[in-house]
Parts: sequence; C-alpha cells; structure tokens
Amino acid sequence: MKNHFLFPYWCRYLGWGCILAHVPLSILGKAHGITNVLDHGPVNESLFNSEHLFFICTTLLMSAGLFLVAFAREKIEDEQIWQIRLNSLRWAIYINYIILIASLILINDTGHILELNLWVPLAFFIVRFRWIIFRLNKAAGGDAALL
Amino acid sequence: MKNNIRVERAIKNITQADLADAVGVSRQTINTIESNKYVPSTVLALKISRVFGKPLEEIFMLEEGD
Repeated sequence: MKNHFLFPYWCRYLGWGCILAHVPLSILGKAHGITNVLDHGPVNESLFNSEHLFFICTTLLMSAGLFLVAFAREKIEDEQIWQIRLNSLRWAIYINYIILIASLILINDTGHILELNLWVPLAFFIVRFRWIIFRLNKAAGGDAALL
Repeated sequence: MKNNIRVERAIKNITQADLADAVGVSRQTINTIESNKYVPSTVLALKISRVFGKPLEEIFMLEEGD
C-alpha cells in the first residue's frame, strides 16, 4: 500500500532524540533565568535574542520531535496501520478541541492554551496509536502459541 | 463479515507469517482478519483469495446484519 507524506522509519528515533534533548535544555535555560516567551510574551521584540533561542531550543524542539515520532513510517505500513493511524488522529483532534474549548471558557491565559495545543494532539495521537499496536502485537503473540 | 482463512491456511499448510508475506501485510493484520476484528479492503481480500486459488466468496462470507 502506497502511503505518501510519512517520514522514514528512522525519523522516529530522531524525534525521540529531540523530545529527550529538550528536557535538559529547558532545565538549563530556567536555571540561567531565561523564561519561555509563551509564559509572559516576548520581553525583547528582536529575533534570535536569548529568549527567542531558548524558545526554539525547547518548545519547538519538543514539538518537532513529537511531529517526527507521530508521522514516521512503521516497519510494515499496511492498510490496518493506516486505519489505526486515521482513527487515532480523529480521536486526537476530538480530545484537543474538547480541551481547547474547556480551557478557553475556564482559563484566561492564552499563552498556556497555545502551549497546550502544541503538544496535546500529537502526544495523545502517539499514545493511542502505540497502545493499539501494542495490543495487536500482544493478541497476535498469544495466538501464535496456538498455531 | 466472517472468513475461513484459518481453515484454508491449514489445508495449504502455511503460517500466518507466510500468508502475510505473500500479500504484503504484517502478521498482526492477518491475525486480526482471522479473528474477525478487522475487515480487509477489497484489494487485500482479493489478494488473499488469490493465494488460496479460490473465489472470494469461498474465503469471505457476509454475516447476518452485514
């Protein structure tokens, strides 16, 4: 089955690398007193200042990592994987919009709502997609003993 | 939709992995089709029936309520 617009399989590892790399960078930046622009808006308007670079290194690194993990090709990319992918994506959009609408009503903090929207759909998609595949593999492994 | 892939595999003496390789899907997909948890596309159903050398209707049957 031909699937376009998916990253190669190895991009999954690159994505996890980005996600893991953003953790020490965030801790390091916060230890040096650099704050995220999403927390309070930009203090300095110029591009590529320390605040902007910190934003690129942390939030964008994490988002790009999630994006790569979510849309990397599976080893065997067949029609069932494609269907699970679409179902998980649909659920991720549902969850994202439920959280978005609830937070717009209940929270008066657009910066954090934006941050939430950066990772909720992709994180939920990854968790559900991997969970369904894990269950399929477990079921197939159990049946293999009977064959 | 139900199917008798498991029976046909036993007759032909091939494993789920062999069938999966022959039709270009994962073994998990063959497993879920056999356990009626996943309904394959027309293309995949035709490929599976071609492996067994039988018409589609002998491998896949409609159930009550389909």
